[in-house]
Amino acid sequence: MDRDLGGSIASGLSSVMDQLSQHLSQQWSELQQHLNVKDEQTAVLVTLGVLVFTLLLVYLVIRGALKGKKRDTVLLLGLSGAGKTALYYQLRDGSLHQGTVTSMEANEGRFVLNSEAKEKKGKKMKPVHVVDVPGHPRLKPKIDEFLPQASGIVYMVDALDFMPQLRQTAEYLYDVLTKAWVVKRKIPVLLACNKIDKVTAHSMDFIRKQLEKEIEKLRTTRKTTSDADVGTEISIGSETGPFQFTQCANKISIVETSVLQGNIRDIEVFIRECVPR
Amino acid sequence: MLEQLLIFTRGGLVLWTCQELGNALKGSPIDALIRSCLLEERAGDSAFQYDVSGASYTLKWTFHNELGLVFVAVYQRMLHLLYVDELLSLVKKKFSAIYSEDRTSYSPDFDDTFRQLLREAEARAEEMKRNKQTISSGTVKKGAAGKKLSDQSQGKGRKSSGAKASSGGDEDDADSNGTYKGGKGSVASYAGKVKGLSNGKANGVANGAANGHPSESSSTSSDDDVGNKKANGRQNGVAFDVNKLQKLRSKASGKKGVPEPPKPSKEEEIRKKTKKNRVWGDAPPPSKLDYTKGSDQQFEDTAAVKIDHGTSKMDEEENSSSDEDESEDEMIEKTSTGKKGWFSTLVQSVAGKSSLEKSDLEPALKALKDGLMAKNVAEEIAEKLCESVAASLVGKKLGSFTRITSTVRSAMEEALLRILTPKRSVDILRDVQVAKEQGRPFVIVFVGVNGVGKSTNLAKVAYWLQQHGVSVMMAACDTFRSGAVEQLRTHARRLQISVFERGYEKDPAVVAKEAIREAARMKQDVVLVDTAGRMQDNEPLMRALSKLINVNEPDLVLFVGEALVGNDGVDQLMKFNQALADMSTNSTERLIDGILLTKFDTIDDKVGAALSMVYISGAPVVFVGCGQTYTDLKRLNVKSIIKTLLD
Repeated sequence: MDRDLGGSIASGLSSVMDQLSQHLSQQWSELQQHLNVKDEQTAVLVTLGVLVFTLLLVYLVIRGALKGKKRDTVLLLGLSGAGKTALYYQLRDGSLHQGTVTSMEANEGRFVLNSEAKEKKGKKMKPVHVVDVPGHPRLKPKIDEFLPQASGIVYMVDALDFMPQLRQTAEYLYDVLTKAWVVKRKIPVLLACNKIDKVTAHSMDFIRKQLEKEIEKLRTTRKTTSDADVGTEISIGSETGPFQFTQCANKISIVETSVLQGNIRDIEVFIRECVPR
Repeated sequence: MLEQLLIFTRGGLVLWTCQELGNALKGSPIDALIRSCLLEERAGDSAFQYDVSGASYTLKWTFHNELGLVFVAVYQRMLHLLYVDELLSLVKKKFSAIYSEDRTSYSPDFDDTFRQLLREAEARAEEMKRNKQTISSGTVKKGAAGKKLSDQSQGKGRKSSGAKASSGGDEDDADSNGTYKGGKGSVASYAGKVKGLSNGKANGVANGAANGHPSESSSTSSDDDVGNKKANGRQNGVAFDVNKLQKLRSKASGKKGVPEPPKPSKEEEIRKKTKKNRVWGDAPPPSKLDYTKGSDQQFEDTAAVKIDHGTSKMDEEENSSSDEDESEDEMIEKTSTGKKGWFSTLVQSVAGKSSLEKSDLEPALKALKDGLMAKNVAEEIAEKLCESVAASLVGKKLGSFTRITSTVRSAMEEALLRILTPKRSVDILRDVQVAKEQGRPFVIVFVGVNGVGKSTNLAKVAYWLQQHGVSVMMAACDTFRSGAVEQLRTHARRLQISVFERGYEKDPAVVAKEAIREAARMKQDVVLVDTAGRMQDNEPLMRALSKLINVNEPDLVLFVGEALVGNDGVDQLMKFNQALADMSTNSTERLIDGILLTKFDTIDDKVGAALSMVYISGAPVVFVGCGQTYTDLKRLNVKSIIKTLLD
């Protein structure tokens, strides 16, 4: 009995399977027919899609690689009101337009310096990526965004209103100089004493000495606070003797400028040293 | 009269100023506006007051976020210019049409346009004023007509509740010639609005032209211009209305829908319970509090105790792991895509949205606000922050592959980072050194309400300073609460610091004065002044505090506040600041310079108090107290706070 039942079930099953497979094969052939009609279209579409996708991928990869290697960025840093935005437009357009107000966002652009564009027309120049980072203390964290690309830093100092802002100026400069990126990559820094056209402006030697003195003080207090959090900052200068800018691993130079009168030749030279033509 | 109108980029380049107005502004109101208002996330405010000797200005502004432009109007405060808002929005519209990124000078082209806009705006304001007067005087005929129309405009106003629309109504009103037509037009345009037909808009245009005709006709082309402009205004109104309706609808649905509030409250309850338990459990064991063994023994122990403490946590760096961030982002992505239909979001994300409107931002902002409030941020602050973020986003283009929620979130993140980044350096050791060079002690006064931990954290600060080779003296100026001096003495004995005390019932200002003199004589570097706790509403005590600060001119006034407080923290700080400002006898008022946030270990993820206090006072968080021992003093980790706030 059992075997009988089993046999009948087996035969029933096999018949069902047969039917099913038949049905399936029929459907398959229908499907194939259907596909054949649209075959060409789909193939074209698929190839197009793949092509676009790969192109996009290649583009992204290349762009990423270029971004990592190409360091043609010069940062304009300094306190609010030192003349960074003015310098930015002086470099770009050779004019201050209608003046500037406190920046809320960074100005950045990749351009051939205005003076050079005038000098040698027709000759292809390598553009410089200039970033004017706002000096408002609340916007300081923005520096970290741009530092990895930087190949040079112009630090603007207000020579006219220097003494009241001495501490802030020195602190900001100290923060910049002790950034791991700046020390490791030896990013050159130019101290640009702006507004030198004014009669009461301080001379650049005076400014350098004051800044060195102030940074020396900062070095001792910051060292005590940053015993444990060395992660982001590195100590600068030599251990013996007072701090001098010449002790830094990166090159630090100082010039006098007047953005208002367009006297920015030294800055342009510096930028071209950082970003060769 | 309008003093000046400026158009500049967010980068800071002035694109256009009105040379005709040409009045030289006294001081630098624009820079002041940007520094103390726009960059402090107060852009949601409506106006900014600027005082300089000889002039007081009111500044109003508007943003064009997509192009990154800022429009600022400056006028004398005494003149309540009613047309400034309208003028700004008109200028914005006109200017953004001709704006291009490469162009930096607009002076000849835009001058005429502006002149015209200004004249119109002034004329309209005049008419409005005149109209008000006539209505109040009650000429029968005009009054009746005005009433009829004002009824209509009121109905319109009720529906739209927009100042712009109602001012438009008034303007219709003023035109005695085309009154009926105008009224009809407005009604028709209203119907059009509801149905969403272009018909209504067309009516609006016709209406605008009709209105514009009799006002001041110089040439046909200018008339056309006027008509167009008015039509624009009307269209603006339409968009506005639709937004409002959507908002209302969303509100209603929000009310009907998920009962959201109970959930967090339940969670809160649970949290509170656990918190309570833990606080009780964490209470220091009685053996520690038992100092009855005799002071001699205690003295012998101090050296050992000091070594045990180790470095203060001020000097330890916390590193937040970055992989946490990623998982977070993924989580957010999942939840946000889960909510909406995936297809619509996909389409939107690929195509990118044309420009953000307030109604688009509303849900995301509301969620963000609720999130902030759940983290114990004061309601008022959360509201203001969201407004400011909205102001910075409206009109911006949403890039492809970004969502509104993530855009809003990143904008908020940036705003929070800006707020919490200290405006001035909080390097106290540096300040101490400066004072030392000048041959005077550095004075820190601790103020705050009762029981927030002033004395305890004073001891922690003393310990931290001592570790960095700074000699410290404590001044017991809490001459009110019994046991306060003894408490300080106990701390001092354990840290081997000298205490200056004059017992109880003395004038704290005098005690502090003597303490500072004593410290100068003994060549101590820092004087830590402990004051009595006081409620912010207690005027006599606040007066006493103000006196103490005025007399002694401390280098740093530290407000000690609990991290546990929510809305009250704002009140406390505001009242303290207010009291110090009001009762100041000196010409330069001394306000709170820094914040010491205590009991930070008890709040889990409810770190909102830090944000509230910093926002309201503008002072940075200098220290964070996070435990019972002397080492439990930290710096504020801004990044981790922001992360916690936006979780």
